[in-house]
Amino acid sequence: MTFGARLRVTAVGIGLLTTLPAAAQMSGHDSTARASGGVRIQAVGLVSRVDPAVANRTLTEAYLTQPVIMAHGTALGGHVAGVLTLDFEGLTLERGQLTPGAYGEGYADRRHPHTYLHEAVAVLAGAFRGTGVSLAGGKGFVTFGTDDPMMRPFVAYPVNHHLAQILERYVIAGAVRRGPVSLEASLFNGDEPLSPGAPPDASRFGDSWAARATLDSHLGVELQGSYAFVTSPELVSGGLDQRKWSAAARVDRSSGPIRYALVEWAMTDALVGDVTTNRFSSVLAEASADAKPVTLSLRYENTTRPEEQRLLDTFRTSRSPTDLSIIGITRWQTVTGALSLSRTFGKLDVAPFAEVAYARPTEELTPSAFEPREFYGASSLWMLSGGVRLGVGARHQRMGRYGAAMPNVASSTMPGSHAGH
Amino acid sequence: MPSFVRQTPFIAPLLALSLSACSSDSSTGLKPFTGTPLSVVGQAEMTARYMAEVWTQGNVAYTSTWGTRSSGGVSVPGNAVHIWKIDGASPVLTDSLIIENATTLGDIQVSDDGKLLVVATERANGSIVIYSLTNPLKPTRLARYETPNTTNGVHTAEVARVNGTLYAFLSIDTPSARLVIVDLSDPANPKEVFMRIMGAPFIHDVYVRDGLLFTALWNDGATIWDIGGGGKGGTPANPVQIGNVRTAAWAASAGGSEAHNIWWFHDPAGGANAKRFMFVGEEAPGVGGGTLSSSNGDIHVVDISNMAAPKEVAFYHVDGAGTHNFSVDEQRGILYAAYYNGGVRALDIRGDLSSCTADQKASDGRCDLKKMGRELGAGLQNNGNVYIWGVHFDGSYVYASDMLRGLWKLAAADR
Repeated sequence: MTFGARLRVTAVGIGLLTTLPAAAQMSGHDSTARASGGVRIQAVGLVSRVDPAVANRTLTEAYLTQPVIMAHGTALGGHVAGVLTLDFEGLTLERGQLTPGAYGEGYADRRHPHTYLHEAVAVLAGAFRGTGVSLAGGKGFVTFGTDDPMMRPFVAYPVNHHLAQILERYVIAGAVRRGPVSLEASLFNGDEPLSPGAPPDASRFGDSWAARATLDSHLGVELQGSYAFVTSPELVSGGLDQRKWSAAARVDRSSGPIRYALVEWAMTDALVGDVTTNRFSSVLAEASADAKPVTLSLRYENTTRPEEQRLLDTFRTSRSPTDLSIIGITRWQTVTGALSLSRTFGKLDVAPFAEVAYARPTEELTPSAFEPREFYGASSLWMLSGGVRLGVGARHQRMGRYGAAMPNVASSTMPGSHAGH
Repeated sequence: MPSFVRQTPFIAPLLALSLSACSSDSSTGLKPFTGTPLSVVGQAEMTARYMAEVWTQGNVAYTSTWGTRSSGGVSVPGNAVHIWKIDGASPVLTDSLIIENATTLGDIQVSDDGKLLVVATERANGSIVIYSLTNPLKPTRLARYETPNTTNGVHTAEVARVNGTLYAFLSIDTPSARLVIVDLSDPANPKEVFMRIMGAPFIHDVYVRDGLLFTALWNDGATIWDIGGGGKGGTPANPVQIGNVRTAAWAASAGGSEAHNIWWFHDPAGGANAKRFMFVGEEAPGVGGGTLSSSNGDIHVVDISNMAAPKEVAFYHVDGAGTHNFSVDEQRGILYAAYYNGGVRALDIRGDLSSCTADQKASDGRCDLKKMGRELGAGLQNNGNVYIWGVHFDGSYVYASDMLRGLWKLAAADR
């Protein structure tokens, strides 16, 4: 019997991309659908107050954040699938979103906007003797780390976004799944986006790679470990390379008081040649609980970030460290609490929410050219946010995996937020 | 080529799990200096801003400033030029120039005729600011030269004369790092005569002498160009490459040359070695630290007897510290090097630096200047926390700009 004859579509193979019932996905039964798909449009209206945001100043700002259109579809009985995510933060969030500790892509203490073409990935999927296989390619997530924060309970991104995820790259990712175990590997370009409209440098495709192993335990706990080598993410060539590690345990439940929990550890080494110049690390734990009619969420994070020279706009930094040297390392310890309420009005889901975060940044190096207490004018920072998530269309459950790497989703219609937590 | 072959195995994350989330190390491994000290004559405190480069002219010193220094929530950018009187034991601050729309003034230099002061500004946009030194204590601005080609910042600006005409050589920041050459014949109206993207990942600095241009191109090493004195038909508007050298990294596993700055030594004592050696400073990121807390990088000695095929023949290394800018007492053959957290080092560079005994050689065959006994002295290393950006020898004293604490005046080294 040929491989093609044995190839059959499984929900595991196309898990991210289908609208199959969750039960069918978990069972691995063949899909009878020849084609399916869906579209979701969502955005978050947000007001945030940060005290102090910088230089003893309290800032209050309003945004339309995370305005995205997400589309997915399958064809040929699920052999072929695609996912498309358009992100319009380049239009609504050019100055960045006030987020103490956030950094990357030329922003500091503001979360940077993502690229307009956030994700455009095609997937070929099937199964062979009970083993799900898939091959995904396009622009999207690398086989490293945990799910994108956009699909998690908090509107404020964690500090560790650039330690714990790699995204918006040209990527080819292969995945196999047998039973509860999936293995993935990918090749991609190391360069980070230069701006919302800038495409990756295609000539650099293949200069970086990543691998991830995932175990879906019978206890409802998903365990993942991953490694990535990223070539010169901040410069066209010749910049510092990165070695990255991630390990995480995640719980997704459709019932019970704790609906979602994630504990993750991430570490990144900055390299000159094979010499590690600096190490950045993160421990994060977050969980959501149902307390009808609201969902309560709590997050603790302990992450170190590199400091680079600020520009005239003190929320912006040079795109690579001057002479490849950082000016300091700051440890951010942050506790974030969130409360949200979910309602549906016809096809529109509405989820008002409130978040409060307390952050305590401290310098790791002495002497340091960046001393948080002197820079912010306080030893701790508060952020208070309120707003509403709006969405139309079926929610995506996960973001950051493709094809056979997509774990079974325990709940397809969890209330509370667009992330379903 | 994909990077599979040289990476840590996948098992690494499991091993690394045992590490805590808080592993950074500010220890630099710098040992106390036990040789001859360069004695401190005087010091002037400057802690409002981080200091950067220093240049002297007569009894006046000019220093630039770097980055952002914060205190109590008030942040001050590195947008000041400080003017010091240096005829006493300790420098005395007399005035300051504030340059608007700048966060760092990384480089500062007086022209060879003493008439102009040129200051580089970073970051976006980037420019050079040109002052008249008719009154050295009260410079007056002639022009600010800022064009699309000076984006995203002028990291270094060297002023030199080529066949009678004064030029500024600007090394421009990433992402499109490039060399821009500007004609300063009319300093109020500078004119660009050349621009080329170069360096990997950037060009950092240049040195100009006798119609030759030496470019420090980081991992592309050091390149020699004819711009009017090399006999290859080159001009400042059309440099012609003569040769290139990739100097060794401070550690075998550290990758590229990290060529940062250059000095072509002319020894008035003459002989076969009179114009033989080029010194290349290597600036490598500190390990387990950042600016102000650590540094790495060696001084590399390159034999340019054959400029088409330069060859590194010697080096100088300090454990736990890296070199930055140079100033040379050519009359006495002494190179002074800023060494960041390692203070200031003085090296004897007269004679044949390529000739040494087997015991004085590294495993790759290069001569080790320290083993050759060419380390004449060190200054400031044992004076508490210092981070020396630049040095300038004025014929009598060595002035050292300390990013953390101000301007130091040191006695010159004894031979």
